[in-house]
Amino acid sequence: MCARGGSGVNQLFDPNRLVNPIMRTGEKGDGKWKEISWEEAYNYIVQKLSVIKEKYGAKSVAFASKSGPEQTFLNQFAYAYGSPNIFDHGNTCPSGYSVALTSVFGNGSISRDFSNCKFMLNFGHNVYEGMVISYARGVTQALEKGAKLISLDPRFSVLSSKASEWIPIRPGGDTAFMMAMVHTLIFEELYDKKFVEKYTIGFEKLKESVKNYTPEAMAKEYDISAERIRELTRECAKYAPHSMVDFGHRATFSPEEIEFRRAIAIANALLGNIETKGGLYFPKSPALYNKLAGEHVAPEFKGSILPKLEIPQEPRIDLIDIKDGEFSKISKTRGIYSKVFKAILEEKPYAIKGLFITRSNPVMTVNDSNEVVEALKKLDLFISVDVYVSDTSQYADIILPESTYLERDEQFLAKNGKNPGYEVRQKAVEPIGNTKPSWQIYLELAKKMGYESAFPYTDIEDFRIKQGYNYPNEMFKLKEKGMSSYGIPLLARDKESIKKFVEKYPNSKANLDSDREFSEVLKCKTKSGKIELFDEALEKACGRGGLTYNNPKLKNEDEFYFIQGKVAVHTNGHTMNIPWLNTLMSDNAVWINQKVADKLKLKKGDKIKITSKVGSQIASVLPTIGIREDTLFAYFGFGHTSKKQDIAYNKGMSASHLLENTISPVAGNNVHTIGVKIEKV
Amino acid sequence: MKYAMIHDMEKCIGCQGCTIACRSENAIPDGYFRLKVKMDGPHGEFPNLNFNYVRHSCEMCEHTPCVTVCPTHASFMDENGIVDINANLCVGCLYCVVACPYNARYVNPKTNVPDKCNFCKHTHLKQYGEPACVAVCPTDALIFGDLDDPLSPIFSYLANKPFVTNKPHLGTKPKLFVVPNKKGGIKL
Ligand code: SF4
Ligand code: SF4
Repeated sequence: MCARGGSGVNQLFDPNRLVNPIMRTGEKGDGKWKEISWEEAYNYIVQKLSVIKEKYGAKSVAFASKSGPEQTFLNQFAYAYGSPNIFDHGNTCPSGYSVALTSVFGNGSISRDFSNCKFMLNFGHNVYEGMVISYARGVTQALEKGAKLISLDPRFSVLSSKASEWIPIRPGGDTAFMMAMVHTLIFEELYDKKFVEKYTIGFEKLKESVKNYTPEAMAKEYDISAERIRELTRECAKYAPHSMVDFGHRATFSPEEIEFRRAIAIANALLGNIETKGGLYFPKSPALYNKLAGEHVAPEFKGSILPKLEIPQEPRIDLIDIKDGEFSKISKTRGIYSKVFKAILEEKPYAIKGLFITRSNPVMTVNDSNEVVEALKKLDLFISVDVYVSDTSQYADIILPESTYLERDEQFLAKNGKNPGYEVRQKAVEPIGNTKPSWQIYLELAKKMGYESAFPYTDIEDFRIKQGYNYPNEMFKLKEKGMSSYGIPLLARDKESIKKFVEKYPNSKANLDSDREFSEVLKCKTKSGKIELFDEALEKACGRGGLTYNNPKLKNEDEFYFIQGKVAVHTNGHTMNIPWLNTLMSDNAVWINQKVADKLKLKKGDKIKITSKVGSQIASVLPTIGIREDTLFAYFGFGHTSKKQDIAYNKGMSASHLLENTISPVAGNNVHTIGVKIEKV
Repeated sequence: MKYAMIHDMEKCIGCQGCTIACRSENAIPDGYFRLKVKMDGPHGEFPNLNFNYVRHSCEMCEHTPCVTVCPTHASFMDENGIVDINANLCVGCLYCVVACPYNARYVNPKTNVPDKCNFCKHTHLKQYGEPACVAVCPTDALIFGDLDDPLSPIFSYLANKPFVTNKPHLGTKPKLFVVPNKKGGIKL
């Protein structure tokens, strides 16, 4: 468990959290509220939603949430209402890699076998601070077994401190680095020829596209010698297939995100590490696993019991619904969130009048926060489901209080790894005050709107029973343990793993191909059914079928790169007001290279004004030797603007106020690096 | 039985999971700590740097200055080697707080009695056989066991890894062992 999980109780009893629905009584953002009943809140919302639908059409209300189990209910409600505009936090966070993986593997969720890896290249994927416990464990296990880890990061992170080598790469230089690496893999013939032949298409076209990106040509872009990249590439290939290039997580260092992440996905395919130990693997769903085993090993619960509603016919504001268009690889539940705020302000391609969000805090997470705030103030209707009066919720008309994770039951969720499994969240305590979980809020609201047929369950228990109807025993066991897993781990190209699988499930022998691999697993959901090293759809849409290097110019000569990252003791922007966690870290001092600080006569704790083309922030400085001289770094999620979050209010600086609301090609991401100037204040 | 703990700095990532687990388990008043982990650094020569991840908590000394100075025997070592405090006997002289060379004790503002780590003796250890911090550590950087039992995991760990103790020159013989960073030196 991490510090954040351990602080759940602290949040549970936080006197600052909302326990009743509240309605705004003053101007937007001035902090005047009155408590109302759920009944009153629902009536208000229903009435407003109906008026907007009548006047502007259902499409003019956008719905957004963080990704997670709540999303199911919000999205169902949105479609029932008739709006195609549903969003999650993707474009402010992980959509870069999921779009890249979708392009290459036809699937945005592919897993990394960290613990068995022998050689890892990591570009600022900070598994020890932006923590997913299983990743942290995996990397630690690999290191214990002697794996080599190369951390390419402009600043010295905790991960860098555990790495075999820290290479302070130039911000934005990683795209050029990956071009050179792919070039070296291909032209030094270090790639896995048999794998490429059997499982991929588009190799020749890829080769053609990267032919000019020699390490020598690229070296000047990332401040690492051409010889060094050749060495690293050779070493990576030497350990293949038990080596990987980590595709990262919250990313988007530059507008060339898509080329960078695709180059990583492609490099892994060239290393032939797919479905091998220490490489990448596809999550095994119960259906696939049972099919391979030739017997019924795992129960096949229904993912969602909600009837599939047709996607409302209106065009979306973010253009991802254009078939084979530039943004068509972005998931339909994800969208390009940051476009909502532009659409509100500019009323293009059409006006957005209402916004309905669940646990989403765009003022902290979407670039150019001033624009976001302006947009929120312009809305006819803004409903927020939240635990606190957050930086964003403070501009809402109504805030509906959601139960925290300790107080709510959720549906069964798939937890597929090398073998299939499920997990379920169950409440530890009864909800405090009048808070409600999402499944209930949207169910009740749907009833009021007359959409009950889209929500055919009475409560979450009923929902669960319908999910696992055919497997009463398995459901019982899952609820008892909270987690379940079936069968044994399977890597479809690993000899040892295959041997064990076949011994356990003898029927599965029939499913082996002539190479004694389960190639069924590597059937991709791409158009060709293979791993696509060249993307024909993207080629047609925007000429990005192969890899192209476009210099992602991120700053001017006289500026610093401003970069950011996550810290272990906070979850993005929403735990700063939890007292225990705030005590551990309440401010995000900006890292600056010691030599530069000396030159500018800056001491630890001195205040500086950081200015970008979008805005400025006051921050304190932390001179350190752990960062490049041309770069500034801060943890993000600080600088809260809601006075209701009293202990976090105004502490530290907010990166979102400095960043520009860019939409990067193909991936549609907000870019998280920008050029800034600083002055002492 | 002789309880002991290892903090493997090589594996520790300074995530404070242990710090928070300790607060939660032992109802530590806001602003005080029985346990915290300090990230110290970076040290070294760019780009060959390292951080140290230093645990601050009671070291469970064998030769305990805190017990020796206690006039009422409120501070004592129990049969399992855990240094503990009997609040009923404490007269609040705070000699122990001053005597501890590791700064491991704080005075509880409500009771005015010194408090410190006792390996969750009455709570987590009793229930689950290990302190709360050990149970939550995501990278298994904390190892807990019995020095009298050759089968205890702590035994093989100490046999296979180089370890040190803090301020050995004081002769307190801590039962908190530290596996230092391989990278760079260790500063304690
Ligand atoms: S929980 Fe483990 S890794 Fe985290 S700070 Fe404590 S000892 Fe270190
Ligand atoms: S660390 Fe301090 S409190 Fe703990 S046993 Fe040693 S002297 Fe006593």
